[in-house]
Amino acid sequence: MIRLENLCKQYITGTIQVAALQGVSFQVVEGEFVAIMGASGSGKSTLMNLLGLLDSPDQGSYCLDGIQTADLGESERARVRNEKIGFVFQAFNLLPRLTALENVELPMVYAGVRAVERHKRAWDALERLGLEERARHRPNELSGGQNQRVAIARALVNKPALLLADEPTGALDTRTSEEIIEVFQELNNQGATIVLVTHEPEIAGCTRRILRISDGCLVADEPVPNPRKASSSQPELERQAVNQ
Amino acid sequence: MNLGELVRVALMSVKGSKMRSLLTTLGIMIGIAAVISVVAIGQGGRAALNTEMEKFGTNVFVVYLDGEVRLGDMKMVDLQVIKAAVPEVKNLAPVRDLNAKVRGPRGEIDMNIEGTTYEMAAIRNIELRTGRFLNEEDQASSRRVIVLDEDSARSLFGNANPVGEQVSMAGNTAMVVGVTRKNQSQFGDNAKTGYIPISFTSGIEGDEIFFMMWGGATQKDKVDEAMNGTIKVLERRHQAPKHYKGESMEGQMRQINEVTSIISLIISSIAGISLLVGGIGVMNIMLVSVTERTREIGIRMALGARRRDILVQFLVEAIVLCLMGGILGTMIGYGGAFLVAHYAKWPPLVSWGTIGLAFGFATAIGLVFGVYPANRAARLDPIEALRRD
Repeated sequence: MIRLENLCKQYITGTIQVAALQGVSFQVVEGEFVAIMGASGSGKSTLMNLLGLLDSPDQGSYCLDGIQTADLGESERARVRNEKIGFVFQAFNLLPRLTALENVELPMVYAGVRAVERHKRAWDALERLGLEERARHRPNELSGGQNQRVAIARALVNKPALLLADEPTGALDTRTSEEIIEVFQELNNQGATIVLVTHEPEIAGCTRRILRISDGCLVADEPVPNPRKASSSQPELERQAVNQ
Repeated sequence: MNLGELVRVALMSVKGSKMRSLLTTLGIMIGIAAVISVVAIGQGGRAALNTEMEKFGTNVFVVYLDGEVRLGDMKMVDLQVIKAAVPEVKNLAPVRDLNAKVRGPRGEIDMNIEGTTYEMAAIRNIELRTGRFLNEEDQASSRRVIVLDEDSARSLFGNANPVGEQVSMAGNTAMVVGVTRKNQSQFGDNAKTGYIPISFTSGIEGDEIFFMMWGGATQKDKVDEAMNGTIKVLERRHQAPKHYKGESMEGQMRQINEVTSIISLIISSIAGISLLVGGIGVMNIMLVSVTERTREIGIRMALGARRRDILVQFLVEAIVLCLMGGILGTMIGYGGAFLVAHYAKWPPLVSWGTIGLAFGFATAIGLVFGVYPANRAARLDPIEALRRD
């Protein structure tokens, strides 16, 4: 699914060269649920940008779902982002003027899906995340957890090969975080490949494998023998509150 | 994204900041309104002018003496020679203007009396209400007859039929033989004008003299030839080069058109400046919009928008902004044109061509001034853009 070989990336800030990644290699196979951990400045954001094809490496190769990304031009990378990758961000990154439904439709707009089908698929994705009641609301009318679930619906809607989540619980309280992680675990159980960046050990403990990054190098790659099952303390109550 | 989608997104963004969009399009609106009204008023005015001229006779020309006037510089016999020598001249009539007090049973009025011949009727499209115009016999026998205009006839005779009745003027009496129909033309106003045979004027003021002749050409586009031919014959016969001058309706029209096109040009250049300033305003606000929506651009790129998609999105938004200015401007422009046409009694000319022109202009401005901001949006780095608030 993902194969990284000796990935290197440098940034130039003023006159100082900062080596953000210094030869990172690993593989992720289909159906895995991987956490990338590291302190801020460790290079994990850079790695995330490279995995998400938002940036290109100075050296090394990145193969995603059989595609050698080094050969891709600007608009082909956009197409791969659109078809193969679903992003979930810390700050949700929903468009404030669009409703939840329209936000979920957005990736399909760029995929050229026709309006009727787009509508149906967006609706299905929202339903899957228990948000059908909130479909017509704008992000500022939704709670943080609801917004993040809209964002997950948006990430899923083009049936991507890889779900990339960058600190998806960073802006949420503990209970809502648990709820979101629960969603990810559920998706993983249904077969989704997920790479999740976090600095919280409790969150990482819910995945099946942890990659640790420090100073631009991969320092540890360990499986999680018994992933903790995330559970929001009173999920039923929360659901009811939403529906009221 | 298809066009409908793009326009929808653009409209949503315009609606998101209504006041700002309205103010931005103001320049475009004023420019387009100016273009539309200038074109519409210009076309309407020209059409009005043409109908006026046609009522009066577009084939008309006038030849008159220039400089020192001597007796005998125009003679009745010249008319025959000219008509024989210049085939483009269809009708030719002498005009001798007199001002006289004319008295009838109901009162006395000041009238402009033209000593002329029967040919004047054809030259000036004179229509009669009752009776007849001057004829050849009147001229040949110097008959003491007069043709009155409608208004004067009413002043002199009230509602009674004046044909066959007598009026007195400058110590002479003349019999009314006809009444002309009022001419609606603003150019050929014949109010208080009486026509008498020019041979009769010699009885009033001595010799059969005149310093002006009116002519009608065979065709509209032969007026210049007819006029110049007439002048040439007169110059040759009287050995007096540059002593005769001519003017034609066509020439007058050309002059008026020249003046109106200069005015149009001036207003159009003001409109052009307004459009330019409006375009710069659109560019400015689009740059602000790109900065404000940097994060949105980043999100769209992360979700799979190509740089081209972003470029087109902002370009369409600039065009939509300009087109809205164009639509409002068109409405205002036509409003203005209708108002002017109403008061000037012109036909208001609404042509699809003009609307097309305005919309074409608006689109072009949106394109030209939208390219720079749109290009800036498309060239944003998605990582940087996503980091922005």
